Amino acid sequence: MNARSYHRLVRILRRFSFVSIAWLVLGFVIFPLAITVWVAFFSNRIISFPPESYTLSWFTRAWDSVEFRNSFLLSAQIGAVATALALALGVPAAVAITKIEFRGREWVNTLLLSPIMIPAVVAGCAIYLFYIEIEVQSSVRVAGTTPGLLIAHVLIAIPWIVRLVTVSLSGVDKAVEEASMNLGANPFTTFRRIVLPIIKPGIVAGGLFGFIQSFTDLEKSMFLVGPGKQVISVAIVTHLEWQLDPLIMAVSAIQVIIIGAALIVSDRYVKLSRAF
Amino acid sequence: MSADLREPAAISRTSQYFLWVPAVTVVTAFLIFPLLMMFRMSLNKFIPGEFMVEALTFENYINVLSDGYYRGVLFTTVWVAALSAFLCLIMALPAAYYVARIRPGAMKSVILILIILPLLMGSAVRTAGWMVVLSDSGALNKVLVGLGLRDAPLQLMYTPQAVVIALVSVLLPFMLITLQSAMENIHPSLEEASLSLGAPPVKTFFRVIIPLSTVGIVAGTLLCFILALNAYATPFLLGGPRFQMMAPALYQQITMVNNWPAGATLAFILLSVSLLLTLTMAYVVKKRVVR
Repeated sequence: MNARSYHRLVRILRRFSFVSIAWLVLGFVIFPLAITVWVAFFSNRIISFPPESYTLSWFTRAWDSVEFRNSFLLSAQIGAVATALALALGVPAAVAITKIEFRGREWVNTLLLSPIMIPAVVAGCAIYLFYIEIEVQSSVRVAGTTPGLLIAHVLIAIPWIVRLVTVSLSGVDKAVEEASMNLGANPFTTFRRIVLPIIKPGIVAGGLFGFIQSFTDLEKSMFLVGPGKQVISVAIVTHLEWQLDPLIMAVSAIQVIIIGAALIVSDRYVKLSRAF
Repeated sequence: MSADLREPAAISRTSQYFLWVPAVTVVTAFLIFPLLMMFRMSLNKFIPGEFMVEALTFENYINVLSDGYYRGVLFTTVWVAALSAFLCLIMALPAAYYVARIRPGAMKSVILILIILPLLMGSAVRTAGWMVVLSDSGALNKVLVGLGLRDAPLQLMYTPQAVVIALVSVLLPFMLITLQSAMENIHPSLEEASLSLGAPPVKTFFRVIIPLSTVGIVAGTLLCFILALNAYATPFLLGGPRFQMMAPALYQQITMVNNWPAGATLAFILLSVSLLLTLTMAYVVKKRVVR
């Protein structure tokens, strides 16, 4: 073997080992999700490897279980309503932050993004204590009620919407808006007919992200759920604490599929790596 | 500047408040105010049997730092978080470089989705996968015994190792995203220069790529450390009853022990450490960009 082909071989081997290390690391990230989906099809209740046979019945059983179905539906409803409310609050705020110069604009921006920066356990704890304090002072029950939970989830969704809509808005060419207004459209019409269509991808992506974050939230919700009214993540953790069976894997797999679908939809609207 | 041209009369001063005041009010009333209230509670006294007693004392903070149980919790939390963040960094460096240098296209989008999907899954679901792998009759033990490497199943669940393994897997995507975006900004011509001047690829990686991604490295490591400090599901489910980290301990103090001042103190410590590190992170990133 001459020196040239030897060097070439070394280069190929080096490249190969580098790529395999990279894929091992990526595999380590995907691995738990892949296992979860795989085990969801095992036929035996007691998980053992390799499985005796496969079945689809855990998925139907997950739906038949009152506990999981109800918490799943509650999470979906809370997520949808919280996202809608957060859009109503967040989109106008994003417009103000990017389009209007006012004093304290930076502060408003930081404040609206703060729910991402404040650890979820801490926020959940503080909101819970606050709700209890309201109950002590006014004997109105908030902790453990759906409205109480909903407010916390609005807080979860707001920063994602503000962040993604702000990014979209800063990409809107001022000249287009000026042209619209020079032609006699008022600011509201300009926003509705010109700006809104341009920032629609940001709004859709922000909404989807807000929904996903609300749907998968555990740390805030666990303080705020009431008896018999669990959200899906809390139900999953409670079940996992006592039992490890294909049923819970099927419930998790359903969540993987839903989030995956939402992610692929939002990827068509914004470059995902920009969201973080 | 076109700023002067813009709608000074069109959007009146009062009407612009309608845009941001509602959102700010909601966040202030339901997040910032509760946090302040919680800080006030952390200065109260807890007397068993009497619940919370109004006071103005740093007793709880002194307690947390001197009491054996809490010191153990703090110590475990810090070393588990530090080790997890470090392992994330070591593992993510080559992988992020690989992803950063893939030409944009279908392949790259698929890989990015594979990284971001787990990131959004929530830690409960992802810990479930690790529970199946690490339990006594789990996949890993099956492989170890099957290959004859072990006679009896290893106790993997309910060990600190299990928590670190799962935390690294949960946090890696954050590190990968941060590092790959930092590395993507390094112009390939710099590597080419290094290579053509005779430095082997490994040396180029350590002498060119790593120094140029310092900001990403610092930001990613701090982010993983913060997230590990606050992790709930992973230590709770994989650590077992005797393994205690801050977030589960805090949840227990508030909802089961009903010791609010102690819970509020733990929460406030977590909050201040996390925010301090977040500010450091923002400072490092900003400073580098301005230069």
